[in-house]
Amino acid sequence: MNGRFHDYSSTILKGGSILAGLLLWHLLSEYFIRDTTFIVSPLVVVKTAYDMLFVTGELYPHIFASAWIFFYGFLLAIVIGVPAGFLMALSPVVRDYVSPWMMTLYTTPRIAFAPVLLLWFGIGGGAKVAIVFLGCVFPILINSFYGMRVVNRDYVELARSFRLRSWALFLKILLPASVPFILAGIRLAVGRGLTGVAIAEWFGATEGLGYLIFFAGQTLNIPTLFVGITAFAALGILSFEVLRRIENYATPWRNGLEVRD
Amino acid sequence: MQTLNSVLLRSRRRWELPRPHLSTEFVRGCISVLAGVVIWEILTRLFLEDELLIPPPSSVARSFWTLASNGQLNKHFAATLIEFAYGFSTACIVGIILGYFMGMYKWFDEVMDPWIATLYSIPVIAIVPIIIIWFGIGMLSKVIVVFKITVVAIILNTAAGIKSLDPVWLELAKSLRLSKWETTYKIRFPGALSYVITGMRLGVGRALLAVVVAELMAANAGLGYLLRDASETWDSPKLFVTVISLAALGLVSFSLIRRLEKKMAPWRQSAEW
Repeated sequence: MNGRFHDYSSTILKGGSILAGLLLWHLLSEYFIRDTTFIVSPLVVVKTAYDMLFVTGELYPHIFASAWIFFYGFLLAIVIGVPAGFLMALSPVVRDYVSPWMMTLYTTPRIAFAPVLLLWFGIGGGAKVAIVFLGCVFPILINSFYGMRVVNRDYVELARSFRLRSWALFLKILLPASVPFILAGIRLAVGRGLTGVAIAEWFGATEGLGYLIFFAGQTLNIPTLFVGITAFAALGILSFEVLRRIENYATPWRNGLEVRD
Repeated sequence: MQTLNSVLLRSRRRWELPRPHLSTEFVRGCISVLAGVVIWEILTRLFLEDELLIPPPSSVARSFWTLASNGQLNKHFAATLIEFAYGFSTACIVGIILGYFMGMYKWFDEVMDPWIATLYSIPVIAIVPIIIIWFGIGMLSKVIVVFKITVVAIILNTAAGIKSLDPVWLELAKSLRLSKWETTYKIRFPGALSYVITGMRLGVGRALLAVVVAELMAANAGLGYLLRDASETWDSPKLFVTVISLAALGLVSFSLIRRLEKKMAPWRQSAEW
């Protein structure tokens, strides 16, 4: 009873907070700052979103363009990041030689590479996929590395005492044990990948959500700008939730694991 | 006997030359970096006619020297650092206070939560154009961008730290009859400190990215501006100098805060490098 009441009040507080904020935003834009190149009412944003989604349908090409870049970059990051992380975990020599370069690449703000990659790959898809890749690959690689490093020693000893060969050890013990970490890394990579998409589309794109936001900002088209921002937030929340579900499904024994970026 | 022994040991050690401790890891790292630079130089010298695509390290170094000696690099570096420092320090103050109240009062947490979650899930890049429209192309907009990025991470982590405080400590505070202020100051803050620092570390990387993005989009100074300038004039050595400066900035700030975190909260195991 007490719990139910508590949930109820929590919903009211959250909903009330959102409504109050939106109302404030509306009043501010309607009565105080009456400048549509500065701020517009949430109602205008909703109307613009509705038009772009259901009347003109101009939002879809942008969403698809962004989604493809994201998909390719993300896939490439998984395909390269996971084996590279494993390799570094299993061989100290590789790790020692590679880690200074990785560390540098990882801590540099990704945007710094955008002009260089553009110079190398041109303004086509290649540079964009490379930028997304660069954003996604490190959380995945680091989590694969870490997952393989922290495998319970007892499991390995058990495998040894059953005289498993090294490939069997890898397939049956090391790989399954590091799956939760890899999934956590993939979840972290989503946010960085989305940022990467936006960065990539700033530099010489003609469509995509990042381009939409950038173009709307340059032309002071505030409603479209807000629609773009909302679409990005929605994509982020959506993919994050989907991955969390997958994670809970694939590794139900590991609910508490929190590796944060 | 034992004391004598240890004294002898210590005195003998004093006369030995201090031998720098080089781990294999460190040596291999150095070899790897040196080899990388040398191979880069040789390959670019042998195969590339044009410095546009990949300039050899020597011309990057020359460009670095030119930029550093005419004060250009320092100017832009300082601009970025100042924007970063202002935004980051304000975010720390505001974030800790808001996070504290969110951790303490359930209703405040509920009220703030939807907005924090929204702010958290919008990519930095998406929000930069609107901030520039609102706050201009000067320093203020960059400070706000850094603030926005950092404050969310600090709020969330501070609130988590306050919430996950061990109740035993609070009971201790009660049995010692600490006043409310003393409980906050002596128990709650130190208890949450490690979380706060984690929040700061998470904020640093994102904030650095954000400040460069904002400068790239519209600015008259800063490393992001330099990056744009170099890429628009096709000045590859200058571009590489900027990229390397940014890499150094990222590396230094990351390892500084990492060290701070290890010192303040050595018991925390982090799954990162």
